Amino acid sequence: MQDASSRMHEDVAARSAAASARRPAMIEIDRVSKRFETSGRKSHLALSDISLTVGDGAFVSILGPSGCGKSTLLYIVGGFVAPSEGIAKVRGAAITGPGPDRGPVFQEFALFPWKTVLGNVMYGLRQQGVARSEAEAQSRRLITMVGLKGYEAFYPKELSGGMKQRVAIARTLAYRPSVLLMDEPFGALDAHTRTRLQNDLLEIWERDRKTVLFVTHAVDEAVFLSDKVVVMTRSPGRIKAMIDIDLPRPRRRAELLLNARYQKYVVDIERLIDNGRDGMEPP
Amino acid sequence: MTLPRRIVAWLSPLLACLGLLAVWQVAAMLLATESVPTAWQAIRTVPEILGDPEQLGNILDSIRRMVIGLALAVAVSIPLGLAMGRSARVAAFFNPLLMMIYPVPKAALMPIIMLWLGVGDASKSLVIFLGVSLPVIYHSFQGARAVEEKMLWSGAAMGLSGIARMIRIVLPAALPEILTGCRTGLVLALITMVTSEMIARQSGAGNILFNAMDMAQYDTVFAMIIIIGALGIALDAAFDRLRRRLVRWAEPHQEILLGAS
Repeated sequence: MQDASSRMHEDVAARSAAASARRPAMIEIDRVSKRFETSGRKSHLALSDISLTVGDGAFVSILGPSGCGKSTLLYIVGGFVAPSEGIAKVRGAAITGPGPDRGPVFQEFALFPWKTVLGNVMYGLRQQGVARSEAEAQSRRLITMVGLKGYEAFYPKELSGGMKQRVAIARTLAYRPSVLLMDEPFGALDAHTRTRLQNDLLEIWERDRKTVLFVTHAVDEAVFLSDKVVVMTRSPGRIKAMIDIDLPRPRRRAELLLNARYQKYVVDIERLIDNGRDGMEPP
Repeated sequence: MTLPRRIVAWLSPLLACLGLLAVWQVAAMLLATESVPTAWQAIRTVPEILGDPEQLGNILDSIRRMVIGLALAVAVSIPLGLAMGRSARVAAFFNPLLMMIYPVPKAALMPIIMLWLGVGDASKSLVIFLGVSLPVIYHSFQGARAVEEKMLWSGAAMGLSGIARMIRIVLPAALPEILTGCRTGLVLALITMVTSEMIARQSGAGNILFNAMDMAQYDTVFAMIIIIGALGIALDAAFDRLRRRLVRWAEPHQEILLGAS
C-alpha cells in the first residue's frame, strides 16, 4: 500500500511538472507556512512548508481532515490571511491582499442579507464601476444560469441553503475573477442538494474553464470535480500526495459512479488518508 | 384571520389606557384630595396648555433640545460603536472611559455642565447627548462585532477598501442592532430632557411641570405628565415604524420558503 501511494506520488509529480510547463501558472504557492499565535505564548503550526502550483484553467481540490489547515491555505491565496513564511503568487505577482482577480465562495455563503438576490449579484459589478443597467442585465443572466430565475427580488433569509449558495456563486462569478476560491462550499448542504450543486458547478465550469481551488473533506466530491487532488495531513498541515484525476470530461455523476477508474481513485485516496492515522494501519 | 388580529392589536393598548384612566378616576374620586385631580380634570387641562402659545412654545423648546441632543448622540455614537466593534484597539481605548461614565446618572452632571455652559440650550442638549450615547454606542458595538468575517472578506475581494467596508457592509449589517439602540436612546432622550429641565428651570415641558407643582396647580402637573407620556408613546411608535421599514430584510420571516435546492 505504501509502495502504491508513493509510486502514485512520483508519477503525479512528473505529470504535473509537464502540465505546468504547458500552461502558465495561475497560482504558485512556494514553501508557505502559517503559524497562529495562541494564548499563553504557545503557537500552533497550521501549515508547514506547502508548495503547490495550479495551472491556468485547472480544477484543483485540496482534500484533508478538518483542522488540517486546508481552508487557511485557501485564505492565504485569497489574501485574507498572510503566510508566516514563504510566498504565494497569482499570475506571478506576490499576493498582498484580497482582490477581484480571486473570488471566494464560503461554506457560510456570506451573502449581504440587506440586499436582494439581484442586489447581491450586482454588488461586485457596481463596485467595479459597471453602469447599473449593464450590471443588472449581466446579473440577471447569471441568476438564470445558476437556476434562480424568478427569485431576483427575494432576500437571502427567504432562500434555502442550496439557493443561497447558488446566489453566492453567481455573486462571485459576476465580477469575473480569474480564480474561484471555494471553501467547502457544499459542506453545509444536505446530500441531495450537494449532488445537484456539484453537477451544476461542473456544468458552469465546463463553459469557461476558470481556475478553481476547491477545499473539501469529501473524497468523492474531490475526485468527481477535479483535475488534481491535493491530499493534506493534519497538524501541522502538510501535503501528503498530489493525484492527477485522469477521467474524461464532461463528467456526469451517474456515469462516473459506475466507472472503475473513478472508484479506484476514491478507494486509493481513502486508503491514503487512512494510512495517515496513528495506529490505524489496515491489515 | 388577519382582520380580528389587527383589531385586537389596536384595541388592546386602547383598552389598557382606558382602564388606567378609569382606575385613576375612581381613585381620585375616593381620595378626594386636592393633590390628586381626577383623570377627567387632567385631560380637560391638556388642550388649555397646548392652546396657550407660551406653554406650547415651552414644549417645542424641549423638543428642539431633545432633537439636537439625540441627533448629535446618534451621529457620534454610531461611528464610535462600529469602530469599537471592529477594532480591538479602539475598543481598548474607549471601554474604560465608557465604563466610568456608564453608572453616573447623566442628570447629576447637570450642575457642573450648567456652570460651564450656562442654563441654556447648550447644557441641556449636552446632557441629553450623554444620556442617549451609551445605549447607542453599546448596540452599535454589539452589532458591528457580530458581523461575519466572511462577509467582509467577500467585500474585500470585490475591491472595497477598509472604510468602504465599514460604511457599506458593517453599517447595514449592524443596522437592526443599531436601531434597537436608537429606540432605547429615544426614550432616554425624553427622560433626560425632562430631568434637565427640572434642574435648570428656564423653559421647557419639565419647567411647566415643576412650576405648576410649586404653585400647587395639580391639574397642570398631571396634564403635563399626560402630554409628555403621549409624546413618548408617539415618538416611539413612529420610530418603530421607521425601523421596521428599514430592516424588513432582517425580520424573522412568517412564511418559510421551501426551495427545490
